[in-house]
Amino acid sequence: MSFAHPWMLLGTSLALLPLLVHLFDRRRPRPQPFAAIAFVLRSHRRTTSRLRLRRLLLYTLRTLLLLAVPVALARPHLVRPGGLPAHAAGPAATALVVDRSLAMRFRDEESLFERARAAAREALASLLPEEPVTLVPCGPEVEPPPPPGFDRSRLRQAIDALEPSYGGADLNLCLGLAARSLEENPLPGKRLVVVSAFTAASLRLEAPPPRIRAGDKLVTPEVVLRDVAAGRALPNHFLLEVKAEPAPQAGPRMVQVTFTARNASAAETGELPATLELGGRAVAKSFLSLGPGATAQKTLLARAEAGGAVAGAVVLPADGLAEDDRRDFVVQVPRELRVLVVDGAPSAVRYRDEAFFFEAALAAPGSPVRPTLRDPEAAWREHFPEYDVLALLNVPAPTAEVAGRLRAYVEGGGGLLVSMGDQVEPEAWNQRLGGLLPRQLRLVKSAGATGETAVRPARLGDVAWDHPLFQPFTGKAREGLLAARFFRYMLVEGGPRSGDATEVLAAFDDGAPALLLARRGKGRVVLLTSTVDRDWSDFAIRTSFLPLMQRAAAYLAGGLDERERMEGRIGQTLVLRPEPLLRVVEVRGPSSGARVPLHPEPDGSVRVGPFHEPGIYRPLDAGGAAAMAPFAVVLDPAQSDLTRVKAEALAAYFGEEAVRGPAGGAEASVPVWTWLLVAAAVLFFLEGTLLRTA
Amino acid sequence: MAPLDAATIAKLAGVKLRARAVMEGVLSGLHKSPHQGQSVEFAEHKEYAPGDELRHLDWKAYGKFDRFYVKRFEHETDLRAVLMVDASASMGYRSGPLSKLEVATSLAGALSYLLVRQQDAAGLSVLVGDTFRDLPPRAAAGHLMSLLGALEQLQPAGGTHLRAAADHLAERLPRRALVVVLSDLFDEAPDALKRILQLRARKHDLAVFHILDPAELEFPFDDPTLFLSMEDERRLEVNAREIRSSYLEELGAFLEETRELCAESDVDYQLVRTDQPLDAVLLEFLARRQGRRR
Repeated sequence: MSFAHPWMLLGTSLALLPLLVHLFDRRRPRPQPFAAIAFVLRSHRRTTSRLRLRRLLLYTLRTLLLLAVPVALARPHLVRPGGLPAHAAGPAATALVVDRSLAMRFRDEESLFERARAAAREALASLLPEEPVTLVPCGPEVEPPPPPGFDRSRLRQAIDALEPSYGGADLNLCLGLAARSLEENPLPGKRLVVVSAFTAASLRLEAPPPRIRAGDKLVTPEVVLRDVAAGRALPNHFLLEVKAEPAPQAGPRMVQVTFTARNASAAETGELPATLELGGRAVAKSFLSLGPGATAQKTLLARAEAGGAVAGAVVLPADGLAEDDRRDFVVQVPRELRVLVVDGAPSAVRYRDEAFFFEAALAAPGSPVRPTLRDPEAAWREHFPEYDVLALLNVPAPTAEVAGRLRAYVEGGGGLLVSMGDQVEPEAWNQRLGGLLPRQLRLVKSAGATGETAVRPARLGDVAWDHPLFQPFTGKAREGLLAARFFRYMLVEGGPRSGDATEVLAAFDDGAPALLLARRGKGRVVLLTSTVDRDWSDFAIRTSFLPLMQRAAAYLAGGLDERERMEGRIGQTLVLRPEPLLRVVEVRGPSSGARVPLHPEPDGSVRVGPFHEPGIYRPLDAGGAAAMAPFAVVLDPAQSDLTRVKAEALAAYFGEEAVRGPAGGAEASVPVWTWLLVAAAVLFFLEGTLLRTA
Repeated sequence: MAPLDAATIAKLAGVKLRARAVMEGVLSGLHKSPHQGQSVEFAEHKEYAPGDELRHLDWKAYGKFDRFYVKRFEHETDLRAVLMVDASASMGYRSGPLSKLEVATSLAGALSYLLVRQQDAAGLSVLVGDTFRDLPPRAAAGHLMSLLGALEQLQPAGGTHLRAAADHLAERLPRRALVVVLSDLFDEAPDALKRILQLRARKHDLAVFHILDPAELEFPFDDPTLFLSMEDERRLEVNAREIRSSYLEELGAFLEETRELCAESDVDYQLVRTDQPLDAVLLEFLARRQGRRR
């Protein structure tokens, strides 16, 4: 125990006052002859033991009271190891910086963050009453702290409410903000208390140490480091990266998952089982052994139960930091598509057949499309809903009854691809299926005959490259697509009808639409204004034909637009690009009820985030249905490296005095004089009560 | 006439004057009392003897019993009263103008006046320590002066020996009499009061004036006090404030017990504070006795 004003202890001699009064102030009692002395004697006999006890209590209370007051005025403090050192120049304005980074989730017997909370509470309790304090929670997002104040109760509540994040923490930034919050405080002493595990990811030693502006000069504040890991290493293995992609070459609905794991500790991990989960079910397992600091990559193959967007995860055995031993992903598993190809101009010569190239493109090896070829008469007898897509290739206008079935099929969610040819009569088509087509057909335009060079054939000019249909077309593939020549094509009416959901995905270089898309009900209709054989163009023999037709089929079946791999990171945002006619109004996170902030962008996309929790996120439309495929949000692997900053490095950065804190060399000064004052007040009250009950 | 308070009485020197003043106050009170004029009321029958007034012959009784009976009335009843005054040392205590003994002698003197004025016999028995001074009951007017003179000379001394007083009176009063005890009853001998009350068993009429000082009743002491016994060598140094409540409990229990014992024995009991107006005390006593006789 130490005393701020030890000379006040001289006042403890006052404690002798009751004894001295008892000894020397024995006033001569007044003699009183009294007739009823018998009653006085009897009363005295009855009360003598009680009175003796009461006198003893009074004497003790008064002595303690007179002892407590001067001792309290001497300002005693209990000195406890591991606390805050008393500032040499008196009280100091203090900022408590508490690390909330992912590393603080590390757990052995208890989590580092629970220790951090306890250390912060302890640091708060050990401050002198005249020392103002502020709190700086240091996580992925940091706000400037309020100026230091004296509301300890609010700060205790704030410390209790702190939670560790899944992201990183920039201690340099937090220390800078904390230092700035202390600048305005009039106390000459400034103190920064840093409660952290001091991992290499949270502290940049190349950045300048915190300084506080005092007038025109920068001064170094007193820095107290509270190492919640108590100098120990934090062994950790974690998943560095997971890449999941369809593996059609391995079989239908096969998924190939390649993951990279790293051991960031100084010891070998032994045999680590790595489990692949798809759709919440463990579907494959592998083992890997990681040496100290080693990285290993493994690939697992598994078959998804169904096509479409499938959520999965790779899971390692949990260690001290279990959060980075699981990494979620979403993979688009190609669905097997059934396409009814209606051949409007069959031919005994295969390459002259209208559907020859189209069917060949769809049925190419590795394609998930299963085409069924029919002539119109047979096709109209088919049950359309059994197919994902209907491709009407150069087909005469169907009967009104078939047209009605076609309309119902599309509006119910089916995909319809219509290509032109000599069999197509614009008036009949417009009459029967005008409402279904993206635009009304007009007339056939000839840009030149096949083989003719005098008349320049049409080429694709304006293509919506960012549309999912054209996303694979980059570089030479794009040139190949643009090189296709179109000699004849159907002109369609200009401009979309009002309220019509039609897009021109590609147009010829003369401006005439080449590929149009319309949404009808829940389904989609794609109109190619030329042919899919060689009659009107040479597109069918171009390399770009096969991928475009496969993607068109997949797109019409609704399985293509979400193929773009999307993955978010903790603390970052992600741009979602929904279909033009779809709106993302909510993104639901892995925790029930957790909603992620949305910021619509002018181009129709939506910026989501920042994300605070890893897991699978689901974009929803206004009706609560899926507006897009789900996506995964993963941890930043840099935060999983729990390599700690060495004490020597901390000493060089903050100074020797600061580093003594984590090593346990500093001593906390716990004030006890306030308790003594409270005790004195209680004693005074008891003494008064005892006197009153006399 | 205003009641005679203790301060006024104290200004009067000597028992004679005090007793007279008290008596006059009582008589003045009696005139206002609705119970006055009772002395001519029928009291008892007596067989006729020569010399009895013929006008008091009860002719109805003669008709019934064929013998002559004479009616006797109140004022003709020859009451014998003995005033037993406790003059022990404790009766000398005073916190105000009058000591307990002075109050006792004033009350005894006033009662003597009243008795003699009614032609009743009044006697005196004074307890001083363990000795007694007696004046036998007489109705003569000259006897009154002897009574008052004896009261005048009383000085407090010795202890309180109520048992001895009871035995003494029992021996001295062979015939039925009214015994008026004036004392603080501070006798520590067990059953002392009961012995006094046993006089009732001998057909004596008994009245007790329990005379106490206000300081004894209220214990107004605060400081450390050395209490000295007035009858022996006992002493006690104590902080009076600390034992006050306990003292009052003890005294209250004593008074309650005394009151109950008197009530059980059908004895007139009256607590008299020395600061009380004495004529009011006597009037209350007389009124209560009158009520009992009716």
